[in-house]
Amino acid sequence: MTRWLRVFFVGGVIAYRGLFNWIRPAMYIPTMLGSPLFQLIFFTKLGQYAHAQSRDFYVVGNSVQVCAMSSLYGMTMSVANERWFGTLGPLLASPANRAAVFLGRGLPVLANGLLVSAFTFGAGVLLLGFRPGLGALPALALILVITVASCTGLGMLLGSIGLRAKDVFFASNLAYFLMLLFCGVNIPLDVLPSWMSLVGRCLPLTHGIAAARDVAAGAPLSQVAGLVWTEAGVAAAYALAGFVSFRWLEHASRRSAVLDTY
Amino acid sequence: MIEAIELRRTYRTTTGVIRRRPLDVEAVRGVSFCVERGELFGLLGPNGAGKTTTIKMLITLLLPTSGQARVLGCDVVENAREVRKRIGYVFGGDRGLYERLSAYDNLRYFAELYGVSGQKQRARIDEVLELVGLAGREKERVEGYSRGMRQRLHIARGILHDPEVVFLDEPTIGVDPVGARGLRQTIADLVAAGKTVLLTTHYMFEADALCDRIAVIAKGEIVGEGTPAELKARVVEGRVTEIEVFGADQVTVERVRALEGVTAVAVENRDQKQILVVQATGERELTAPILAVLNGVEVVRVSSREPTLEDAYVALVGGE
Repeated sequence: MTRWLRVFFVGGVIAYRGLFNWIRPAMYIPTMLGSPLFQLIFFTKLGQYAHAQSRDFYVVGNSVQVCAMSSLYGMTMSVANERWFGTLGPLLASPANRAAVFLGRGLPVLANGLLVSAFTFGAGVLLLGFRPGLGALPALALILVITVASCTGLGMLLGSIGLRAKDVFFASNLAYFLMLLFCGVNIPLDVLPSWMSLVGRCLPLTHGIAAARDVAAGAPLSQVAGLVWTEAGVAAAYALAGFVSFRWLEHASRRSAVLDTY
Repeated sequence: MIEAIELRRTYRTTTGVIRRRPLDVEAVRGVSFCVERGELFGLLGPNGAGKTTTIKMLITLLLPTSGQARVLGCDVVENAREVRKRIGYVFGGDRGLYERLSAYDNLRYFAELYGVSGQKQRARIDEVLELVGLAGREKERVEGYSRGMRQRLHIARGILHDPEVVFLDEPTIGVDPVGARGLRQTIADLVAAGKTVLLTTHYMFEADALCDRIAVIAKGEIVGEGTPAELKARVVEGRVTEIEVFGADQVTVERVRALEGVTAVAVENRDQKQILVVQATGERELTAPILAVLNGVEVVRVSSREPTLEDAYVALVGGE
């Protein structure tokens, strides 16, 4: 069990440092902090100009959604870059528990996603006048953790596909903007066509953003428990799908040499 | 320690652009060999001969299409995890390391993957760094390492968990002569420390100097096996004649090849010159018949020498 935990925690952090391309400040600040900041300001100002929704609607929606910068791109890099560095062979030839290796990589990604979202919320407070009640903060933090985990689950799935597909970052880009459109970030779900709304409900973020908005508006956590549990279920489903995909690819690689392991 | 019995591996690929047809490529065709404890066994062969595919099956990265392989008594298919715990493997080339991490962190990560306990990690990492000559450079990022240093780090990673068996897949490829000499010494040290080593290499002198036994593999099959001395004696009993010429065409080379007693002819191009390496059986004196065939070709130098492992290799793989 100690070995499992060491691979999960220590191994996860070392692998993240080795594989996450934007870890240097010169890359991290513009991509992980700059882009989310401008996305927040852009959509909030646009929404206010159009008198479509309240300022808080955009601040909460975008502040939660920007975690995808870490959760999608960061997680994809953390898995798919093994192929580009040629480290997949040594990794797969090791006896390490695959669940610990794979899931452990999600932990730093989750922490980074929380940081990005917290920074964007902070920018909303400082620059846009967003003022959630202090009592709402613990519930908001819990919802944020679950929502970021859910988005990280989708990143795991994309990352595992990236072990096989050469240009998986195209899929990460697509997923980022689909989530911006389908998950109720800037357009309420009930305004979207029914099929888009249905897709949105199957994606990470949607239920988490809805819960975060209610809590920021003063609702108790118990009132949004259904949304939070649903988001947790989505997190588990995507993480499981990512792990199953990873294991399947590993087995297929041994059988049919589908992975370029050298 | 390592046992391969009739190992086969077929890859399925496709051919054609519009109408794709499946094509089966037999990379390894019934390879059998056995490596004893403490032995350094070499697998020699040209590019595409099946060396790396064989190693990949033995280290559990590929499933054999048929046949069996056991490492330390464990079946590589049925008991892959146990095999992985007890072997180390090293491959040649620039890739395969976490570039942004230091050498120390690269080793620390693999120490975690191989279950080296937290208390022992520091001492063990220091030990392997010392062994491969990277002590003092371990805090530098790998992206700044030379090829030789990377190769040393590959070896350090391969032996970090103190495996009983080490697989080395062309560990000195692309490394400068001084660096390669140091790596060969490290390999010799591993064997002296009691490790069983399976080595693939293109360099004949390396195999000759290091290996206790060698198997030559060509087109997926083993075409010769034995100690370096046995291979030389078995394949090239007679003499090797080297003729330095200008302007020998393919027809002339074929005429030399057709001479009675000639078993193999290899052509090496050096600038404008060509060197014909002619192998012959017995003690037959071939200089005169060869010069007769080379009539009209400018001959610079003719010499005769004892066969080397490279001559044996060329004869075994058919002059490729």
